[in-house]
Amino acid sequence: MDMKRDYFEDVQLFESNVVLFWSVALMLLLFAIPFFAPKYYIFLLNIVMVHVILAVGLNVLVGYTGQISLGHAGFFAIGAYGTALLMLKLQIPFVVAILLAGFIAAFFGFLLGLPALRLEGPYLAVASLGFGLAIMHVIGHWQFFGGRTGIQAPPLDIGIPQLNASFILQTDAQKYYLILVIAILMIIAARNIMKTRVGRSFVAIRDSDIAAEVIGINLTIYKTLAFAISAFYAGIAGGLFGFVLGFFDPFTFNMILSIIFLVMVVVGGLGSIAGPIMGAVLITYLQYSLLKNVAEVPVVGDFLVTVSSRWFSVMGLENINSIVLGLIMIGIVIFEPLGMYGIWIRIKKYWMTWPF
Amino acid sequence: MRFKTTVGWMVVALAAAMIMAPAALAGKPGFDDKEIRIAAWGPQTGPAAAWGNVARGPNVMAAIVNAEGGIHGRKLKHFVRDDQYNPAQTKLVVKELVEQQGIFSFVCGTSAAGGMAVKDYLKDNKVIWVGPATSVEEYVFPVNPYLFTIMPLYEDEASILTKYVVEKLKMKKIGILYQNDPYGKNGLKGVLQRLKKYRMKAVAEIPVEPTEQDLASQMQKFKSSGAEAVLMWVAPKTAVIALKTSKSMGYTPQWVSSMTLGDYELMYKISGGLWEGVVTGAFTLPPETRHPLMDKYREATKKYAPEERWGVFFHAGIMFTEPLIHALKKVGKNLSTEACLRELNKIRNFKGTGGKITYTPKRHQGTDSIMVMKCGPNATYIKVMDWTSNELASWKK
Repeated sequence: MDMKRDYFEDVQLFESNVVLFWSVALMLLLFAIPFFAPKYYIFLLNIVMVHVILAVGLNVLVGYTGQISLGHAGFFAIGAYGTALLMLKLQIPFVVAILLAGFIAAFFGFLLGLPALRLEGPYLAVASLGFGLAIMHVIGHWQFFGGRTGIQAPPLDIGIPQLNASFILQTDAQKYYLILVIAILMIIAARNIMKTRVGRSFVAIRDSDIAAEVIGINLTIYKTLAFAISAFYAGIAGGLFGFVLGFFDPFTFNMILSIIFLVMVVVGGLGSIAGPIMGAVLITYLQYSLLKNVAEVPVVGDFLVTVSSRWFSVMGLENINSIVLGLIMIGIVIFEPLGMYGIWIRIKKYWMTWPF
Repeated sequence: MRFKTTVGWMVVALAAAMIMAPAALAGKPGFDDKEIRIAAWGPQTGPAAAWGNVARGPNVMAAIVNAEGGIHGRKLKHFVRDDQYNPAQTKLVVKELVEQQGIFSFVCGTSAAGGMAVKDYLKDNKVIWVGPATSVEEYVFPVNPYLFTIMPLYEDEASILTKYVVEKLKMKKIGILYQNDPYGKNGLKGVLQRLKKYRMKAVAEIPVEPTEQDLASQMQKFKSSGAEAVLMWVAPKTAVIALKTSKSMGYTPQWVSSMTLGDYELMYKISGGLWEGVVTGAFTLPPETRHPLMDKYREATKKYAPEERWGVFFHAGIMFTEPLIHALKKVGKNLSTEACLRELNKIRNFKGTGGKITYTPKRHQGTDSIMVMKCGPNATYIKVMDWTSNELASWKK
């Protein structure tokens, strides 16, 4: 059913009219959400979409190129601080500032990509972890970045205030549309990159870097490029995250966050575009919403409160958050290495041939 | 051309959606005829989980109030949310509480960055916030009509501790070890302000990063400066490393520390007993004090939260709710946010289990008073100076 007859079929955005129909329906739903969803969910969706952008970018590196990064919170921080400071200190319009911050993050991604040429697996993980931690401490140390106190993001003006063309996004719903559009563009861009020569080179490096080099792929260029692209995505996501939050400090971008980002990609499914999107949505929802308010869920909440007060420490119920995330990770690795995307593929195949 | 037209229409549609997007709605009401909902956030998991008990303290206050029949017939319901010391999570849990549950007032609230991320949101939604569990100048200067603090400023505390060291302990050579952030720098400012009054200068002012593991060079500097007392505004781990390092050098000055390290049981344990003799500020009565309110809270904790360790910070969580409960009782049956704000603004010299609190519409920093305590054998509290206010407090001028 996934047979491709020519190159055009492989690169086209919508594989069939069915896909096109559902994509349009999903778009309409996404654009209509602010008109009926409670405000709290809009804020949650903003965070979800920021994480989606980051996870899609991280997947370019981890899923497609086979490199690991435990330092993505660092790029995320560069994006957040870069965008806010460029706007605050240099009065650069938002659109330019966030792009510049993305490129600054990409530059740091390129730098981190250099040791990746010689490091693999756990060694690369440690190097990237060190990078993430260093960024957090460097930002915290310099008063220019607001020190450990953190900084207040400026008003999100998507116009050009210098030309008296201000358009300040104040509500979560307004920010939702901005983030949604950027997220869609970034997802389409990621999909297109993976269909080009660059994308195929990434996959070749993942499958065997020696074989890739033998067929003429320049490892230096493509490995660093994968890091730079991934970091660019994290930078853009960070730039948006700063405005969603309004105020942030260096500790916001800690090591745990880097690990959570990796969890999103692994749980969603490595090496696909839909996978990290699903992973980011699920993990963010679990971590930021469902598991936070689990005590108020009827029946289940009371049961968990009883279990935690009987068997756990004083802060027991809150530990359920980490326990559930850990169990999901273990479950995915053991039962469904392709992640949620793998589950989706199997469901799709089942219904394609139903009732036979 | 067709592509450009499509893009053009999309931009127009998007702009229209952004303009028409629903405007900000106020949160759900924080009370009804049966209950008043209050809430606190704090790190229950993650690296700062040790401070999580502050947010759980109000549970005991709610249990006490409810056992006494509630406030004018309304029960008190307290929500605790884990923000893992992460401002993104703080904002999310606060939004969930305000918009989904409906909260009348927040109490406590650990983490300065988390508080900064939500203070304007709470103000915009007209939600009261009493007794943040951090001391941050930006919370109250300029006055935020919905935010009332209880913890004294580190600057005031530092000034009073310096007064104690110079006037009571008669020490002339003072060293300062401060964390390189607003917490440490405000402490430094307070010490220098007081020393200036005595026309004295610190013999050593040494900054430290919270992540530093080796403090040998810093301790050597204090030793060579001949500092008789070292005042510190640092994290618990840094303080323990400082004490251990200096002892191994044979240098034992009088250590003086901020109220944030006032949990003697914890500090005694992690320092292997070296905390004995350390002088600290205190913003609440010590946990074992014989005092009608303290006895009541202690007994209630045994009854309603037997799993909790009765210590300074758990009690602080209860103490941070005292002015709010006082104001709610004063309001009477016709409860409203405005009425509660009016009563809070009328509080003068309110005495609970912390320092005397005074609020006016122009002043929401509740107190500038601390007590001075000394850690005795087996982590006991010895009072060495009663409640003292800072006559040099810059914000009162």
